[in-house]
Amino acid sequence: MKPNCRRICDLLAQYADGTLPDSQRGEVQRHLDACPPCRVIAGKECGARQLLRACADRLRTEPLPPGLRTRCQALAGEQTTTRAWLRPSMRFAIAALLILLVGALLSIVTRQSDALLAAQLTADHIKCFGLFRPTEGKTLDAEQAQKLLSDRFGLDVHVPPSSGQEDLSLLNARTCLYADGRIPHLMYEANGQDLSLFVLEGETRAPAELTAFGHHTRIWSRGGNTFVLITPAAEESVADAARYVAAEAH
Amino acid sequence: MFRRSSPAPSTAEDFSAEALQFLAPLFATAMRLTRNRADAEDLVQDTFVKAFRHAGQFKRGTNLRAWLYTILHNTWRNRRRDASRDAVEVDSEQVEQAAAGAAGGAPVETPERILMRSTLDADLQAALDELPEAFRQAVWLRDVEEFTYAEIAEMLSVPIGTVMSRISRGRRMLFEKLSSGTAPSGAASVPVVPVTANSAGSHR
Repeated sequence: MKPNCRRICDLLAQYADGTLPDSQRGEVQRHLDACPPCRVIAGKECGARQLLRACADRLRTEPLPPGLRTRCQALAGEQTTTRAWLRPSMRFAIAALLILLVGALLSIVTRQSDALLAAQLTADHIKCFGLFRPTEGKTLDAEQAQKLLSDRFGLDVHVPPSSGQEDLSLLNARTCLYADGRIPHLMYEANGQDLSLFVLEGETRAPAELTAFGHHTRIWSRGGNTFVLITPAAEESVADAARYVAAEAH
Repeated sequence: MFRRSSPAPSTAEDFSAEALQFLAPLFATAMRLTRNRADAEDLVQDTFVKAFRHAGQFKRGTNLRAWLYTILHNTWRNRRRDASRDAVEVDSEQVEQAAAGAAGGAPVETPERILMRSTLDADLQAALDELPEAFRQAVWLRDVEEFTYAEIAEMLSVPIGTVMSRISRGRRMLFEKLSSGTAPSGAASVPVVPVTANSAGSHR
């Protein structure tokens, strides 16, 4: 390629989308008139640009997965509750609260972060069971799951195996979307109900139980890791299985 | 482009509402990055978690849409790095080879004729998805989302010159894929025309 052609080709991106200054535009145009190979290249660039612009609106309208908007709105709700404490009008109140109620405030903050964790992991629980439910009757061996956790996450965790007595089956093990995909998610079925166990590595939290999006969340720590168990709320049928998983996981 | 009649979102609620306006285009962009609905959904949710958490770092009066797209691309990059899957650089190399091997002199279809095809949307999307990631990102952000070169450089964390050359070559590859019908990349047996190896100088 001639040096001049190379220089002209470097300007073609801007030439094709009309952002090239007039002075250079004239120069490119003159070169293209005289140089058929560069004209072919410019034709392709302008053609692709034209097609993409013509279809841009349709390309941008990808149907949203059901529930995505609601979940993102819920995330906003969680954060604005936290951020409301930082508004100027609240500063005086916060100062007073800090002086008077340090202990109480600390417990509120902890509970709020538990609530956020519960909401996030419940959203993930619902999504994973919606999208990644294995075919009927397919289960995962606990040893396989354990190996996967240690290979992929370097985690040494005892995975509660399927148990006939509690009517509990280990279905799948995958990566949770939160924390940049570093949280392992174990998916179980108990008595026909969905049950999730998440492991937060190297984190310790006070035990807590709470409800988010119609699901019951139980948080506890053991061996330097935090476990989060999620089951549908008000489902007595999974209580035995939940107790079993909580006792087994370590 | 992002339009705003009032100066800036004044409260956290306004901020969230305004950010959520961009949910649909962010999801479409995530689809082109991940090429998979479940991963795209994860990526978008993660983007909003970060955006809401770091809302205080957003500079008022700057472009909220560009800020969100930057978070989306950073999150995607971190994920790719963590998963240590094939990196962007590998893609670029493949393209150097592909561009050197097969491109150019096929009978050139006009954009009008391609537009006439009823399956264009699907073809275009498939052709985009076939582009190596680095080129797909750059072309999408410029020609579909209409971000400026400077904004794209910031999002992708590469110099402007690299953005331009990626856009150029991405467009050319896209057009070639579309004019060669459904031929998979690299399979087209078209005459080799040396002029396609241009503008690689500014690339990394």
